Amino acid sequence: MSTSATARPDAGSGQATAIISVRDLRKRYGDLVAVDGVSFDVAEGEVFGILGPNGAGKTTTLEMIEGMRPIDSGTAVIDGVDVAADPREVKRRIGIQLQASAFFDELTLVELLDLFGRLYGRGVDPMALLADVELTEKAKSQVRTLSGGQKQRFSIASALVNQPRVLFLDEPTTGLDPQARRHLWALVRTLRDRGHTVVLTTHYMEEAEELCDRVAIMDGGRIIALDTPQALVDQLIGRGFRKARVERLANLEDVFIDLTGHDLREDD
Amino acid sequence: MAVRIGLWWALFMASVKMFVRNRLALFFSLFLPLVIMLIFGVLNFEGSTSVSLGVVDEARTDASAALVDGLDEYDYLEITEGTRDDELAALEKGDRGFVLVIPSGYQSSPTGETGLVAYASSADPSQAQVGQGLLQQAVAGAMLSASPGSMPSVPALTPPVTFESVESRDLGYIDFLVPGIVGMTVMQLGLFGVAFGFVQLKRTGALRRLFATPTPPAYFLSAQVASRVVLGYLQVAIRVGIGIWFGLQMFGSWLVLAVIIGLALLIFLAMGFGIAGWAKNEDQAAPVANLVSLPMLFLSGVFFPREAMPDVLRSITGFMPLTYVNEALRGVMNEGAALVDLGPQLLGMGVWAVISFVVAVWLFKWE
Repeated sequence: MSTSATARPDAGSGQATAIISVRDLRKRYGDLVAVDGVSFDVAEGEVFGILGPNGAGKTTTLEMIEGMRPIDSGTAVIDGVDVAADPREVKRRIGIQLQASAFFDELTLVELLDLFGRLYGRGVDPMALLADVELTEKAKSQVRTLSGGQKQRFSIASALVNQPRVLFLDEPTTGLDPQARRHLWALVRTLRDRGHTVVLTTHYMEEAEELCDRVAIMDGGRIIALDTPQALVDQLIGRGFRKARVERLANLEDVFIDLTGHDLREDD
Repeated sequence: MAVRIGLWWALFMASVKMFVRNRLALFFSLFLPLVIMLIFGVLNFEGSTSVSLGVVDEARTDASAALVDGLDEYDYLEITEGTRDDELAALEKGDRGFVLVIPSGYQSSPTGETGLVAYASSADPSQAQVGQGLLQQAVAGAMLSASPGSMPSVPALTPPVTFESVESRDLGYIDFLVPGIVGMTVMQLGLFGVAFGFVQLKRTGALRRLFATPTPPAYFLSAQVASRVVLGYLQVAIRVGIGIWFGLQMFGSWLVLAVIIGLALLIFLAMGFGIAGWAKNEDQAAPVANLVSLPMLFLSGVFFPREAMPDVLRSITGFMPLTYVNEALRGVMNEGAALVDLGPQLLGMGVWAVISFVVAVWLFKWE
């Protein structure tokens, strides 16, 4: 695992090199236009969030960029490689955590990571990868015995076997309890500090605010807003928006975390 | 891109590991057939007291016809008529207890100078002894009733039939059962072992996770098929081993047996992947796999001879893939058939292999 921490680029300034460049991406299923002309750039070292309600086209967009789904029209270039032209080369350079992460039952975590290393044609150190996601003590366990948060962390470990330049996380914290979610946030920050560019989708706005340097908000297959979370909030307030009730100094989640602590609860 | 043997081997071993660690699958593939053989081995389905008699009428006279009619009157004789070659072949295979040859120029003679020759199976000497007595009695009786009045009712001085022993096989029910079980095993492995395992990988998304890597899916698919083929041979070996313990005899070549099993695996693996490639989840795969396998399980002669079926059903089910497989397996194991002797069965299997493969490719979807 590369530990060379790259400096966090000045997010959204446009001066950092774009490692992902998406132009006018489109996908239709019969009459349904799932992705309708999506364009954006992701800077190297950035954590980029794609937000949107269900059916907005987040996952389809992600899958086209990852080379997992054919592109109808438009282009996506990752690390200088055109996805449509060479999806295999793109897959070599990226790590993917799928929304529904499943692995072969009956194989242990170490065996799975070893196998995934081979799928990328490289040897890996499974224990080091497991240490990165704090699953060392589960090395000889099977995936089905892991808790939800552990599964997601293992899924991220499996996406790191090829030391990817870009890491794609599709709803990494859906279904996790507040402790496990915060734990995963910490992991994502660590990965960003190590120089991985991260693209993630989420339904949780506080997660996007917490993690993302910039976010794209999608609806109906289009990007309807793209900026830093702070800029988007400022723009809204600038348009005269006021919350009906002013945010209190703490909310219920803060109460929950205060009462139950930050420690992870893994029901093993 | 060069073929990566190491990667392929890793996928193959992973596939084997997954199978071996799945206790339920292991139970069904190892323990269940043992139970089936125990049940059928303990229950003896052979208990018939009749004598299976092949009659070769080379005389073709009224006298010979009368003799055959006379023999037909005896309920304990199960008479089959045929040519000398066919009947003697059947005797060698163990399908007949005796073959009675009525030579040309046969004349009914109460004094015993009939020229009648019966070939007896060497398989079961004690039963042959009883059978000889029964047959002598029946022939003498048949000759008397064929020409009533002309004969003095005195017993013949010499027995009318001369016996010759023919080297033949003593086939028990286990010899019938094991090839059937082997055929069934290969079918179940292909249809269920593959269909369910693969559909599960598809439904859970484990297969999609593989597509997120740069390795072409063909590696995984071929490693999966290869592991199933090896496991298939292993399961067959275990069943045959258990069979030998129960007294199974093997008259043919193991190599020919291996070739037939290989072809059978090809057919049923293609069917399994066709179902698995088409189905979205186990609930879709299960009824189809059952619909394909159940008729064959009962109508392809796995447990009982297909001769017992009504003619129409028998001719229709004769075209089922497992029927060809079972016939070929029995051919090599029970009769020592070589590949050239199994032309029709191999042709049938080949046609099914092609059909299954084409349909599987047509139906297959990765997601």
